[in-house]
Amino acid sequence: MDPGPAVKRATLLLSAVCLSVCSQPITDSQRLFSIAVSRVQHLHLLAQRLFSDFESSLQTEEQRQLSKIFLQDHCNSDINISPLDKHGTQNSPVQKLLSICYVLVESWELPSRSLSGSSAPRNQISPKLAELKTGILLLIRANQNVAEIYEDTLSLPLGEYIDYYHGLGADGSLRRTYELLACFKKDMHKVETYLTVAKCRLSPETNCIL
Amino acid sequence: MMKNDGGVRVFWLLLLFLLYTRGKSFSVPGKPTLTRCRSPEKETFTCWWEPGSDGGLPTTYKLYYRKEGSEKEYQCTDYHTGGKNSCFFNKNDTSIWVNYNITVVATNALGQALSDPLNIDVYFIVEPNPPENLNVTIQNDKGWPFLRASWDPPTKADTRSGWITLIYELRIKLEEEDEWEIHHVGQQKVFNIFGLQSGGTYVIQIRCKPDHGFWSEWSDDVQVVVPNYFPNKRSAWVLLMVFSGMVFLILSWLLHLNSRNLKHCILPPVPGPKIKGFDQKLHKSGKSVDAFKSLEVPDFPHHTFSKSEDFLVEYIEVYVPEEQELMLEKSNNLHNGCLKSESSVSDCDSGRGSCDSHTLLLDKSGHQTNTQDSQTDEQKHGEALQGENLAYTHQDMVSPDMSAGRVKTWPSVFSPLPQNRSTVDQTSSIEIAKQHCLSDSLLPSDFLTPYHSPPGHCTREHLGSNYWEFDFGNKQPHLTQPQTEACHQIQAHSEININTGVKAEPAAHKFPTPRSNEYVEVQRINEEDSVVLRPVASNYDKLFEMQQGEDYSRVKGVDSDNVLLLLQKEAMEEEMNMCPCEQLTDTTGAHYTRFARSPEKPTACTHPTPQPLEERVVNGYVDTATMFTMPPY
Repeated sequence: MDPGPAVKRATLLLSAVCLSVCSQPITDSQRLFSIAVSRVQHLHLLAQRLFSDFESSLQTEEQRQLSKIFLQDHCNSDINISPLDKHGTQNSPVQKLLSICYVLVESWELPSRSLSGSSAPRNQISPKLAELKTGILLLIRANQNVAEIYEDTLSLPLGEYIDYYHGLGADGSLRRTYELLACFKKDMHKVETYLTVAKCRLSPETNCIL
Repeated sequence: MMKNDGGVRVFWLLLLFLLYTRGKSFSVPGKPTLTRCRSPEKETFTCWWEPGSDGGLPTTYKLYYRKEGSEKEYQCTDYHTGGKNSCFFNKNDTSIWVNYNITVVATNALGQALSDPLNIDVYFIVEPNPPENLNVTIQNDKGWPFLRASWDPPTKADTRSGWITLIYELRIKLEEEDEWEIHHVGQQKVFNIFGLQSGGTYVIQIRCKPDHGFWSEWSDDVQVVVPNYFPNKRSAWVLLMVFSGMVFLILSWLLHLNSRNLKHCILPPVPGPKIKGFDQKLHKSGKSVDAFKSLEVPDFPHHTFSKSEDFLVEYIEVYVPEEQELMLEKSNNLHNGCLKSESSVSDCDSGRGSCDSHTLLLDKSGHQTNTQDSQTDEQKHGEALQGENLAYTHQDMVSPDMSAGRVKTWPSVFSPLPQNRSTVDQTSSIEIAKQHCLSDSLLPSDFLTPYHSPPGHCTREHLGSNYWEFDFGNKQPHLTQPQTEACHQIQAHSEININTGVKAEPAAHKFPTPRSNEYVEVQRINEEDSVVLRPVASNYDKLFEMQQGEDYSRVKGVDSDNVLLLLQKEAMEEEMNMCPCEQLTDTTGAHYTRFARSPEKPTACTHPTPQPLEERVVNGYVDTATMFTMPPY
């Protein structure tokens, strides 16, 4: 007669189902994060290698001068909203971080084709970037709770960045190449940091040791 | 003039003053130089500079920096945390992935000097502190210990939130060595080291690096002493030596055992030419005759024959059909069984050329041919003898083993009773020469001398010396009849010495006097298809004599019925026999070997006339007993 126990049982069952369903995307996202992090780490290593190869091919004097000049400029990928310190990064929501990552990776897809390298890594960079972009997109969709809030990030004037980098790679001057390689390396590290922090943040473990 | 002197003095004083002051001049400070900047955890960073000359005046240094994207100039707030001539940027002032333009300004009373600007990005200058809390423990792995090193990341580096990712590197060496052994660890914080020296002291260090930065400094040494797990090096050596010594001993012993084989394998002996029977020594000594003597084949008969006629026929086989044998076997009479030869055991090739014809009956005297039917084997006895007109002889070259119990099928030697016996005054000794089936049976090298006797005169010269020998062989095992043991004796070789007894002379030679056996050999086959025999030389008498006593049974006598009475083996000596078979005189001769006399006309001695056996040894032959017919008296 008393529907109480039945209701209780039903709610319990429902919550269990909910939990299982809800936890599903978490584990999925963890797996996706792991994949994305490993990919971006690899890209970062590639960028480092490219840069060091290029630097070793330069003369010492040129090297010094170029480093001075380069650091006076800045990579145009410094988006205003991207956190620039740990505090800011840790306080940013995951979706924001993912969006920034997505933008960054996308902005480098085209210019990466003009990246020069002694071996043939340049041919691998562009497709790897495309894959990474897809992975990040999946992650965004997996964490789609508050995606609508950060749509403005995706609407950034990407065209500017693309043009900028295109301009960089247009002429084959050493300076341009140097800047391109240095900026690429930095951006890859940025994406790696963001993804790593986001992954740790979403991981159920408190002890997020990578 | 006085004024001029004063002016000069002032002038000189001023000059001195100026000179003095010039040696210690104050100047604008020298240009400082920014040496390095470093961030330990990607959150703060510190920059150091090298001051130039200070110009003799107290100089202050200030650091100004600008961030990319803005022209605002900031000044360093913390000059003390990093030590002298340093500037520490705290978390609030630090931005990653941002270019900093840093300048140091040295200021003194006279002026200031600016250093060259330094552009840095914190992301490039990360160099963490060394890992902390390096702990090395000894783990015992079933007696073989190993080291386990564990550590913590530097305290400031925030690896937990993933802000910075560190990878580690460990190095180890023995205390007394110089070279380090470096192990790349990766991101983990535990590492195992194997392959340690027993009782050695190890020194371990560790360092770390972010994936984009610089290596940290090596941590402090940690020393660890590995216990002595290898009991004693010396004892190990002793054990090894003992073991190898044992192995060496065993190998040498094996080698010694097989030295001959090895010699044969490695250095095989060179075969020299050898002629069988050829004695080199004798040859060398000059006695060529003796040397070649051994080449003689003892049983090579040709040179002994006075006549060079060869034997055209070695033997002729007589075949007895199977039924007769069965019939004979099935008869159940005791006495029959006694004398029954082991015809059953004879093999199918009834006596073709084998030794089983026990006796060769030969006519010793030339014209006294004994017609005897000897069957090559027991199966042939009756039938073959009846029909045969030929005497068969067999040169027994081969001796199948008599002792095996097989009935050796000798080709029987038939020598029909000579027709001319009748002409002889009925003394015809039936000479049976047996070719003893020995392993070394030899061709009779002698012919019966009576052969040469003129026909018609069968004189027995070597009468008594011829014996019939019945070789019963060892039929015992094949005897189907239930016979007593003693009965088998009968089937031993019988030595029959028969003489007709008609003559005195033969009577003298009557058995049971044992005489040396004489064997007959085939001399030739005459024109009438009869075999001419002659006795063998007495060389072999002695040889056969030995076997006489055991193998042959004596003929007791010939009764009126022309029945040959045989004694058992023991009876030969004592003429007593327990076996009922021995009742020779009693029975009607059922167990006798019966010999029928051939009523035919005696012809030449060399004509063996086959005599039909009236009574076949129905009840057993003297197995493979030679059936012979008595010569007509």
